[in-house]
Amino acid sequence: MSEAFKLAPLHIEEYSLENGLRVVLNRDDAVPVVAVAVYFNVGSRNEREGRTGFAHLFEHMMFQGSENVPKAGHFQFIMKAGGTMNGTTSSERTNYFETLPASQLPLALWLESDRMRSLAVTQENLDNQREAVKEEKRLRYDNQPYGQIFDLINEMIYKNFANSHSTIGSMEDLDDATVHDVQEFFRIYYAPNNAVLVISGSFDPKTAKQLVDSYFGDIPTQALPEDIDVNEPSEVAETYREWEDKLAPFPAFLIGWKIPPRRTPKFNALYLAGKTLYDGDSSRLYQKLVKGDESVIQLFGFTDERRGPSSIFIGAIPKPEMDLSKIRAAIMSEVRNISEHGPTADEMQKMHNQLINDTVRMRQSSMTRAQHIAEYTLYDGDPALINMELDELLNVTPDQIRDAVREYLNTDNRSLLDVVPAGKG
Amino acid sequence: MTQAIRKTAPEPLAPIAFNTPSPFSTTLANGLRIVIFEDRRLPLVSYRLAFFSGDANEPADFQGIGAATASMLSEGTRNFSSRELAEKIERLGASISASSSDDFTMVAASSLSLYNSELLDLVSEIVLLPSFPESELDLYKRNTIEHLKFQRSQPGFLAGEQTARILYGEHPYAKTSPSPEDVEKLTRDGLVDFHARTYLPNNAIMIVVGDVDLEEAVADIDSRFKRWMPGEVTETSFPQFPVARERTLTIVDRPGSAQSNIVLANVAIDRRSPDYFPFLVMNQVLGAGASSRVFMNLREEKGYTYGAYTRFDAKRFGGDFEATAEVRTAVTGDSLKEFFYELNRIRNESVSEEELNDAKNFLVGVFPIRAETQEGLTNLIVSQYLHGLPEDYLQTYRDNVRAVAGADVKRVAEKYIQPEKIAIVIVGDASEILTQAESYSTEVEVFDTNGNRLDPDIYNVESDGQPMDVSGSWALSIDFQGQQIPVSLNLTQTGDTANGSLETMLGNGEISGGRVNGNKLSAAALTEIQGETVEFLINGTVNGDSMSGTLSAPVVPEPLAFTGSRSR
Repeated sequence: MSEAFKLAPLHIEEYSLENGLRVVLNRDDAVPVVAVAVYFNVGSRNEREGRTGFAHLFEHMMFQGSENVPKAGHFQFIMKAGGTMNGTTSSERTNYFETLPASQLPLALWLESDRMRSLAVTQENLDNQREAVKEEKRLRYDNQPYGQIFDLINEMIYKNFANSHSTIGSMEDLDDATVHDVQEFFRIYYAPNNAVLVISGSFDPKTAKQLVDSYFGDIPTQALPEDIDVNEPSEVAETYREWEDKLAPFPAFLIGWKIPPRRTPKFNALYLAGKTLYDGDSSRLYQKLVKGDESVIQLFGFTDERRGPSSIFIGAIPKPEMDLSKIRAAIMSEVRNISEHGPTADEMQKMHNQLINDTVRMRQSSMTRAQHIAEYTLYDGDPALINMELDELLNVTPDQIRDAVREYLNTDNRSLLDVVPAGKG
Repeated sequence: MTQAIRKTAPEPLAPIAFNTPSPFSTTLANGLRIVIFEDRRLPLVSYRLAFFSGDANEPADFQGIGAATASMLSEGTRNFSSRELAEKIERLGASISASSSDDFTMVAASSLSLYNSELLDLVSEIVLLPSFPESELDLYKRNTIEHLKFQRSQPGFLAGEQTARILYGEHPYAKTSPSPEDVEKLTRDGLVDFHARTYLPNNAIMIVVGDVDLEEAVADIDSRFKRWMPGEVTETSFPQFPVARERTLTIVDRPGSAQSNIVLANVAIDRRSPDYFPFLVMNQVLGAGASSRVFMNLREEKGYTYGAYTRFDAKRFGGDFEATAEVRTAVTGDSLKEFFYELNRIRNESVSEEELNDAKNFLVGVFPIRAETQEGLTNLIVSQYLHGLPEDYLQTYRDNVRAVAGADVKRVAEKYIQPEKIAIVIVGDASEILTQAESYSTEVEVFDTNGNRLDPDIYNVESDGQPMDVSGSWALSIDFQGQQIPVSLNLTQTGDTANGSLETMLGNGEISGGRVNGNKLSAAALTEIQGETVEFLINGTVNGDSMSGTLSAPVVPEPLAFTGSRSR
């Protein structure tokens, strides 16, 4: 069935302004809504030691006002126009995005251009946002059971500091951030030639181009930041660590592997291997551990896609009194099975239908389209890859999956984090 | 572009109309209502088969049976095992899930429209022919009990549990999740019976949204569901919500918590209330979003928190209004002060025309964004039909928002937000919070994370930095109806935590994670009595080598006084 299914390509138009800002238009009039996404080529990978958490702290500063937009005005303008917005920071990039009624495209471009041009960095704003970030760290990481394990395992997988440190950063480094640091960060990384602007949804392309030109055209170019080195040896940094978690009610473990960069054939093969292992109630590990052995309460797995060395994780919260080493042996035995035989024909068919379904659903939301397009533009220099992403995955063969699992997963070169509850006694 | 044009926000372009789809509606002979919305934007289809009964309608002695029955639908049917069902569903790239909420039970299914027929086959299979295998039910029960334990490590769950208990009293909304004992009692026969009595076509509605042909969709549903027999729908009568008479303060002690999770709650409106739209706008002004008042105050101005919000949950038979934030422990009291400032301000002062319009513009503008995906559109439609809102609900939604006046906002704020009768619930480190919060209420209660009541007095000590060491063997004497009963208490203290055992005539109880604050001890001893675990609560005041206090347990109506001394 899946072979017969053809998706109409999304309409993509790409151009650059003279100052180097890359612009992509994706028109789709299904709903009178427009999404604007601005991606800056800066993430935690750009941070050096002693300055962790800067990319994310800076993301907060971008909502603190600019020459013509008052502090917190960004929220207000978007919300009173009936829109939604946010910003996020990852290892790879910092993104800002808003979805609005289609008639409010000028507002989104005005707001995004004003802060790209003239961010207001003051001591007061910095102090206030530093506190907000510290609360975010307490809320999301320090005060949650298992909240710190993903940051910990990255330290165990990666040897290169650019890859291994957390996006939220350390409290000490956040305290050390000065107004001057923040201003320099802005100058270096928030230049138009270090950014991608995507507009997706219902708009007239001619009007959109005129607006983009008038709002963004006169923002000055900056010297591009130096390339960073994210290379890694193939060995993980640390194979075992025990972590006492004061809030965890149960023991748990997380296994991580270092794998090739996103969109490489091997990464794609391992992404699909992951789906076979842990995605959904019919996946191998769910059927084996949650159902068959009844040994775990919760099973999870995912891939972390990066432009450099990436990673794949499998974790479990076992039932009390269960032998954790047996559960890990069961996981590795399924990994070995795929490394020898690859996925079955049934598993391939299931994956193909899931990939098609996911791709169609992704296309419904103008914001999700804008985000995917922005990533392909920023990371690969080609927004039209959004029209190839489904085929790239459908074309992965069972043999490729088998071979990639053999090379990268069925090996002792992996990191194991054991979480020990330390709350009582 | 000239600087002048940059100075102010640009005018919008000409608006583009958003037309919500119109439904086709019919009813099968067995009473199953069908509503179909054609949505041909993409080759997708979504089904929602919803029943007009939920957790609130469960028999009192079978708590948790609704969620269990829903969960178990896809764990085995007459024709397929759990594993076969999972494989069949996922091989289509589809998803099917079933769940219950307070008021409703719903089976949700979606897939590519080219698998419409296969998807509907599977929906009818799990709804009409579930077999509830014993082995799968056993697994469900054990996993659910572990999950219930896990929830107790989540501050949000603990806050919600106490809030619901205080607001809803004897009403079933008071219970946010079943107890492990409730889950333990579930049986296959119970589920079979519950399914037969509540999964009735005449108590259900099938909502279809997607890339389907109307006539084919009706025929597809009819062919699969026409033999489904109607039955008698049991009406449930509910107790009234308790009437709040004063402000209360409830603390769930989570020692070492980095943050305080604050909830302030009043009972508010049901979903069909004529005050719904004024309340929606009022809540938007006050705290629904990142440009609302409480966020601007507690996060943007004060930096107390990552986010502070208000929300309201308008259910079928009532609901609540809540102001919430997770703040760092040291500013718990300061955060309460700012919350009360904002709750009073929206009641006492008229909202400005600008703030009113901003809130309304947001709600009007965001409506088409919510309907952009089929999932989002379906959710809007489902809430319309489940709550019996007017046929033109989607079409008139934005006009209803626009019609709210400033006076309406003030009126609903005054009517429903009651700062003098609000329930304050805080999950966090009680020894740090209590002094910050106790001035807000004369009614103070403290619980541990297992829901056991603790004595607030143990936190009310002059702190000289170091807690007393209660380690040792204590010989205590309990006054039971004039009779002196000896018990022995053995403790080892590490930091401010005491572990050990309590030996009584009834058996030995294990003490884990008792709290010492100054010279006050609060600890629970779990004792096995005739196969049941009974919890004895010890609240003691230590003075040198002597201790006095109370021992309470579910089996005795009043706390029992004790005195005793220590042999080191």
